[in-house]
Amino acid sequence: MIRAVLADDEVLARQKLRQLLKDIDDVEIVGECSTAAETIELVRLTDPQLLFLDIRMTDMNGFDVLERLSTDAGRPLPHVIFVTANDRYAVRAFEIHAIDYLLKPFTPERLQSAVQRVREQLSASDPSDGGSPKKHEDERYTTRMVFKSRGRILFLSVDDIRWIEAQENYVRICTGKDSHLLRETIGSLENRLDPNSFLRVHRSAIVNLHHVKEVKNEADGDATVVLKSGEQVAMSRSYRSKIQKLLKLQ
Amino acid sequence: MRTSKENTPLFMNPAIFIASSVLVGILFAFQEWISLRHMGYHMAAPIFFESWGFQFLVWGAMCWLLWRFLGERIQRATVVTILTLFLPLSIVASLAQQMIFVFIFHNLPLNHAEMTYWQRLSMYVYAELLDNVLIFWCAFFLFRGIGYYQQYREQEKAKAGLEIQLANAQLAALRMQLNPHFLFNTMNSISSLMRSDVEAADTMLEQLSCLLRLSLERGESQLVSLREELDFIELYLGMQGQRYADRVTQTVCCDPELYDMLVPSMLLQPIVENAYIHGISKTEAEGILSIEAGRNGDRLRISISNSGIGLKPRPNGRRGVGIRNIESRLKLHYGEFATFEMVEFDQKTVKVTIVLPLQHSTVEEMSLTRFGTQ
Repeated sequence: MIRAVLADDEVLARQKLRQLLKDIDDVEIVGECSTAAETIELVRLTDPQLLFLDIRMTDMNGFDVLERLSTDAGRPLPHVIFVTANDRYAVRAFEIHAIDYLLKPFTPERLQSAVQRVREQLSASDPSDGGSPKKHEDERYTTRMVFKSRGRILFLSVDDIRWIEAQENYVRICTGKDSHLLRETIGSLENRLDPNSFLRVHRSAIVNLHHVKEVKNEADGDATVVLKSGEQVAMSRSYRSKIQKLLKLQ
Repeated sequence: MRTSKENTPLFMNPAIFIASSVLVGILFAFQEWISLRHMGYHMAAPIFFESWGFQFLVWGAMCWLLWRFLGERIQRATVVTILTLFLPLSIVASLAQQMIFVFIFHNLPLNHAEMTYWQRLSMYVYAELLDNVLIFWCAFFLFRGIGYYQQYREQEKAKAGLEIQLANAQLAALRMQLNPHFLFNTMNSISSLMRSDVEAADTMLEQLSCLLRLSLERGESQLVSLREELDFIELYLGMQGQRYADRVTQTVCCDPELYDMLVPSMLLQPIVENAYIHGISKTEAEGILSIEAGRNGDRLRISISNSGIGLKPRPNGRRGVGIRNIESRLKLHYGEFATFEMVEFDQKTVKVTIVLPLQHSTVEEMSLTRFGTQ
């Protein structure tokens, strides 16, 4: 069970969260509050694992609340999902390692995916679990990113990226059902990503090895990478031996 | 250069101009009279004031005529015109002025009654020709300066006019952004979905918020990158697609090298909205809407085609306000360098083609993208 506190100064906003969370079985609401002061008190009292936090509240803002809470010795901060109508604070939220940033109004699916990320975080840090094999040890590589796509703020875990396609000065990041254009070169992105998971298979494509199903040889000597989702990514000859070696290792 | 009358300074009124010229002459006379008194000469004042005043009266009149008939040529004069026309003219004008002066004041110089007209004239020419030529050139540069001033005022005025036009276009764009028709129809759809399909209502509300957020974010920028425009239109298409269930096939196809090219913001939405209202929604058949952006030499070509019922001529023969708005904005931004075309083919399909000059976005997009580790 994930114990959660809802902090928002609007009753209807809390009601919406409460109703949507009712459908998520493993989240239990241990308290609700409408001011920053109440939130600090309630978090100290109930020690939740998850805090849904509005940024603009009457007395202080959400960041101030977290700053106060972080001075409490010996108590880990709860995981934070910001719930706000304002996209201005997304980078700040990302930098203080918030789990997600929900822009009001949000859909149930968006909430689901945020809670899923909390689950992953909790199981990764759970010592009884023996440590998740997916945990990235290497601090040099990007594991998560924030960007804006079609009016939405996305806190994306790189594990969710299936493949990346270069499009001139942009890259198209393909996740499950969506794809997002970022103004970034594929080369700089390749350098940021862990080479144990992400492999350049073409001048203009990177695939996430965790999502690769097989490599299919074509008649003319080229190859195609087939993802678990069925998507096919063309592969240059020069990269073929590299991917086959890596796939055997896994 | 056509100088407009209202930009002419007040002092170029002939009465004021000549009167000020005479005033300058009187001041010179006063100065000379005082300085001679200091040196111990005592002379009758009237002759000073008369001669100086008259000299500057003639100069004032001549300069005003110069302004009246040659003003524009002075302002446009090149070095060659100055050397071949105005330099000789300055000498001729000075001589003429002195000839008149000597003719009128036959008792000058004082106490030289025995001198003939030509002797007196040559004496004055020796003594004062250079001063007189200098007066001519002072007037010449004054008129040239007035030309620059008028030009400056006119440019300011043109600039202000353009700003007003831009502001109007901005307003029009804003009206399109918050197109009430679209907004209220969407709200109505949400309201209806609330009773039948809460999830779909939720999704639509979220999409509407994204759309509004994006359009508010753009604020006052008239031009946005094609990618931003397509981002917006994809969101809009997503909503329309939901409204028309799965009856419509939408495709957006853009050459990636064009993502950074500038286009007027909200260029596509009114066209796509039109395509739905006047085309796709009018038939029961499967609908097709496709947007393509490609390069055509040094031009950017965007075409939007939709299935439906072809082009129906409007009762008043004019195009709808949305389309006219786009045409006027294109004209405002690009003049004759942009084209807008709406044609029908095979009775059913309508294709809008917009061709713009390629213009690369120079302002680095405010990016929110950050990378981090857990």
